[in-house]
Parts: sequence; structure tokens; C-alpha cells
Amino acid sequence: MTAVGGFVDISELVFAAKAGSLFGYALIWAFALGTIGIIVFSEMSGRVAAVAKQPVFNLMRHRLGLKLGLLTLAASAISTLITCAAEVGGMGLILHYLTGWPYLAMAIASTAVLLASMWVLPFKWIERTYGLLGLLMISFAAALVSIHAPWGKIAGGFVPHVPSGLSTKQMLAFAYFLVAILSAVLFPYETYFYSSGGIEEQWGPKDLATNRVTSIVGMSLGSLLAISILANSAQLFGPANVGPEIPGSAALEVAIPFGSTGLLLALLGMLFAVAGAAVETCMSNAYAVSQFFGWEWGRHKKPWEAPRFTIAWIACFVVALAMVLTGIDPMTLVEYAVLFSILVLPLTYLPLMLLANDRKYMSQYVNGRLAKSLGWLFFGIITAAAAAAIPLYLLTSGGQG
Amino acid sequence: MQRLLLIAAVLVAGCSKGPEADLQYISKARSLGAEWALVNEQSNAGKLTGNYTRTMREAVREQLKTASSSLTQPNSNYAREIGALMAEPDDAPPAQLRAHADKLKQIEDGLESA
Repeated sequence: MTAVGGFVDISELVFAAKAGSLFGYALIWAFALGTIGIIVFSEMSGRVAAVAKQPVFNLMRHRLGLKLGLLTLAASAISTLITCAAEVGGMGLILHYLTGWPYLAMAIASTAVLLASMWVLPFKWIERTYGLLGLLMISFAAALVSIHAPWGKIAGGFVPHVPSGLSTKQMLAFAYFLVAILSAVLFPYETYFYSSGGIEEQWGPKDLATNRVTSIVGMSLGSLLAISILANSAQLFGPANVGPEIPGSAALEVAIPFGSTGLLLALLGMLFAVAGAAVETCMSNAYAVSQFFGWEWGRHKKPWEAPRFTIAWIACFVVALAMVLTGIDPMTLVEYAVLFSILVLPLTYLPLMLLANDRKYMSQYVNGRLAKSLGWLFFGIITAAAAAAIPLYLLTSGGQG
Repeated sequence: MQRLLLIAAVLVAGCSKGPEADLQYISKARSLGAEWALVNEQSNAGKLTGNYTRTMREAVREQLKTASSSLTQPNSNYAREIGALMAEPDDAPPAQLRAHADKLKQIEDGLESA
């Protein structure tokens, strides 16, 4: 589920489609770079879970102390809550396109279904339902093949570059999209959800190879789907002067080659991928809070066996829905989610890296030279992106120019 | 010093009025017009569902209304063009919608290069 429903979330849908239409294939490398980053941090968090056999937030509290640990927890929880609200709003919108029923009613219905499915279904079935149905997003990759995409240009997009001939304004917008894409790909909730899942499945050092393969293959698959959306947009929307301003426009990428069947597949894929992300964000917040305060936690338990954990994920959904019901534009929520997330990214990934670098906790499984170098490199990148995020947001009016 | 310059630039960007400040809404309206044309074109070709077509058109209208009401120059040529786009019927021919989007694009390019 981490790979599809969670990786291709509403923020990536929106920013991939916009980036492709505005800058062609030039920002593919931002997705590729972010994917390497999320693989590095996911692998690290899975390794910490498998070796230390303790949840990341529990170790964080011991390693950083109560005050700094609490600050990290609060920053991460707020960022993830806004992201969850964006996902719930996204689900409401997609159901609105599918059924024609009112958006807010659809947001309420989505939340009710998510709550019910999380209460009733075992964790494996939640993963299977949202993760596997989210694979309908492959329709975007199929659409890319069927429109005879320029593969040479797409391959060129993987090489980091800034397009030539951009005005200062366009350059600022390009930088804003670069930061936003990195933030959307590196959402911290993914690593917390992933490592907590590892503990629920009782990973040990023998599972480290599985951890590595899952991180690389899973995250890369999600990234390829996001890149498909970007490339379709570059091919179909850019030349037609389409922004796109409405999140539902992304589904046109599949409708154009495959008609109404393609449209339905795309919308359903988007719905389940976004639903998967909503589940991940809520669970991630419940995991983080419960682990930090030492409460009983885990989805392998019945809801009443871990009452405070259960209340935490229910509360997360309810607060996210309340944010949507204020009438805030879902696109604004997406922008805030991405913006707030990049601001707290350094704060959330630094403790994880310190833990993975600590031989006392990790013994022979401590970060090697490659993991350490990549970790610090990406920490530098996300710190620079965090410093640039707010000025770029203001100077470009949220990428509008 | 660099920080002060940055803050000044941000304040200028946030407080500006006139065509420069309206550029983002012109760009938004241009894109919405083009999206509307694409939806109608695909709908005419039988490639979309009724619900999708209707909800997308509603969303386009709603966002055009927001863009139009955010303009600082409501009597400008671009405000009139956005008004003309909004006056089109839901099932307007794609070519007609594209003509509005193209006009807005010309205005946008002209303002950007000025």
C-alpha cells in the first residue's frame, strides 16, 4: 500500500499534472530525485524497526529527549493531519466526479467508509483493498504508451536540468514546483507508516533484504505512475494551454485514448490510491502519538485492545473531515499540505538518520558509508528546499506566477 | 541585507495591484477556458460520462467566478474577455471556448513581456 495508495496521493496527482503542462518533461528528474530520497529514508526506517525492534518515535523520544521529541512529534502530526484533510477532500472530489452528488456529502461518506473499513477489516485486508485497487492507476501508464509518447524526451527528463530560455518569473515557478514535488514525494508519514508496519509484522534482521527490495521496488512503482501523469500532461495538456486547474482534469489523460471506460478506470484508481493515502496518514499519526507516549498500539489488535491508539486514528479522520467541512478549497489544502510538510521534513528525518547512524542501537546494521552519505545529501537537499519554500510560495502565488 | 531584499520582494509581490497582480487570474482563466474546451470536445466524442462532464463544467464555472471576482481591474480588456468566457453556455463549441482561451493567452503574454 505504501507503494501506490500513499505514494501517488492527491498532492502528486495535482503537482505532476501541473508540472507536465507548464514545463514539459523538465521536472521528471524532481520525481526521480525525490524517489531516491524516500527509498533511502524508508529503507533506514525499516532497518531501525527490524534491528532495534522498537518504533521510531519511541526511540526518538529516548534519543532526543522529551522536549525536542515532542516538538518533532507535533510538527509531524500537524503536517500529516493537513495531508490527511487534503486526501479526504480529494476523495470527496473524485466521488463527486463519479456520481455527481455534492462534494461535501461525498467527503463525509468517504470518511465514514474509511472509518468503517478500518474498524471492521483486518490490517492485511485494508492494505489489499486500497493498495490493489489503487493499481488501477496503471491506466495512466497505459495511456502514455497508447498516445505514442516521445520516449527520448521522457528519458531526457530524468537528467537534472533547468529548461533554457525561462524568464525570471518562470524560473521562480520552476523552483516552486521542484520544491513542491520533492515535498510531495518525501512526505514523512510514508516512512512512519512503513516502519510501524514492519514492527507489526515482527520484522527482524533476517527481513532486511525484504526491507530493501520493498523500499526500492514499491517506491519506484509509485514514482513511475506519477511520472506517467506528468508525461501525459506534457503531451496532452501543455500544447492545449490547459493548466490544469481542476484535479479531475488528470482523468482526461486516460479518457482521451481509452474513452469512458478509461475515464472510469482512472477515476477509480485515483479514488483508491487517495483512500490508501488517507488511511496511511491517519494510521501514521496514531502510530506516532501512541509510540511516543508509550501507549498500546497496533492494527493487529482489536480496536478495543488498544483504545488510545484507536481513538487517535478516529480523531485524526474526524479532525481532517472537519477541516474539509469548513469549505476550504481542496487545492488550497493540497498546497498547505505540501508547504507545511517541506518545512518539517528536516525535523522529522534528522532524528531517524541519527538513530540509524547510532551503533549503540543498530550494532552491525548501522548505516554504511552509502546510506550515511545519501542520508546527509538528502538532508541537505530538504533543508535547502524548506528554506526556499515560503519565499517561493509567496513570490509565485503558489506556482501561479 | 539579502534577507531584507527578500522580504521587500515578497511584500511588493503581495501588495501589488493592476495588470501585474491580475496576471495569475488571467492565467488561471485561460487554463480554465482551455480545460472547458477539452471537456466539451471529449464529451462530444462520447468519451466522457454525463456526471463527469457536468461536474467538471460546474467546477470550471465556479473557479472562473472566483478568478473574475479577484481581479483588481474589473473594467480591463481581460476582465471583459473573462466575462465573455463565463457567458458561454455549458455545451459551447470547443473552438469558441478555445478562441477565448487564446485571446487570454495573448493578453497574458503581452503583460508578461511588458
